[in-house]
Amino acid sequence: MRFLLSLLAAMASSLVLGLGSAWYMIAAPRTGTIDVGTWQALPTIDASTADPYVRARIARSGEIGMGGGEGLVFVTGVDGRGDSLSATCDYRLSGRSPTARLWTLTTEGEGRRPGLTPEGRAHLDNRNLLRDGDGRFLITLSTRARPGNWLPAPAEGTYTLVLRLYDTPIALASGQLPDLPVIEREACR
Amino acid sequence: MIGRAILWLLGVVMTAGIVHIVTVFGVPGHATNDPWEEVGKFGPTGVFVAMPRVDGATRTIPGLDPAMAQATCRFVLDQGPIRIKATPPDVYWSLSLYDRSGLHVWGFDNRGAGQKSADVLVADDVQVAQLRENPPEELEDLVIVDWKGREGIALLQVFRQQPSLARETDAALKAAECRPAPLG
Repeated sequence: MRFLLSLLAAMASSLVLGLGSAWYMIAAPRTGTIDVGTWQALPTIDASTADPYVRARIARSGEIGMGGGEGLVFVTGVDGRGDSLSATCDYRLSGRSPTARLWTLTTEGEGRRPGLTPEGRAHLDNRNLLRDGDGRFLITLSTRARPGNWLPAPAEGTYTLVLRLYDTPIALASGQLPDLPVIEREACR
Repeated sequence: MIGRAILWLLGVVMTAGIVHIVTVFGVPGHATNDPWEEVGKFGPTGVFVAMPRVDGATRTIPGLDPAMAQATCRFVLDQGPIRIKATPPDVYWSLSLYDRSGLHVWGFDNRGAGQKSADVLVADDVQVAQLRENPPEELEDLVIVDWKGREGIALLQVFRQQPSLARETDAALKAAECRPAPLG
């Protein structure tokens, strides 16, 4: 009787552990990511190099990602101090353009919903950005319209910033990490 | 007693490991909303379908850049190679090909294209061999992609650089071709 109970407990625990750890690894990108400051580079989804976790994640989410030859995707859910990005606060992003022919910056809130301006703009990009004489830029991230480079934030909740570099010479594998914008929190409501 | 506990733990960890591996490798085969299915929800196979704008209100494919306008096409090589043609406006654009499971296989952008339009022929080994034997006249202007497998997904993206180009972009996505081009 004790043996049977012990066997049952062992089977139940293995199932919970095995399935739980598999779900954890698949639910979000956990393998092949590279930290760059508070930003995180997502693994590219090339058929030749994708690992089993990437394959399983894509099969479950149905998402279409970027291949290695196309560019890089960086995401961050926190500001420079490590606090979650929240719709109730404004943020200031400053820095220089990372080397890429084109880059786009967007937000992703709950249900992958991007922040939108009243005109329907969801992004900022290096082609339409205001810069100072040294090539530095300043972006304000807020739910309310702001002068200058305004990136609309999702209306509520916490969200993620997504920076996509298209046609970039940056190779993360060789340890050559780009300078990405620094995020500072401004006023909260 | 302690020996038996350690043995029990070891057994649990090893079985959990097996469950973990079987689950991770089993997911792609049993997924019902992988990229192939997702793209199929927007239109038939063998044509480009313009994706709704990524605005959170309309259903679209996860992972697409809101700064881009996109069209996707599921293709099957059974009726011959697939000819993909598009003439997007003179801004950043890219054409990417994904395999049946949604992994990136091949792609180029407007700089790689060199000329202004995209003209690509996706063919499997047998079809490539047939093309070599019996080359069509326009072969020199075509980019041939040697495709492994029978199915794939094409993604055409055009950067929304300025609102004034929106109509031209939409028209180019609508006019983009992704059709079987039978040989001979």
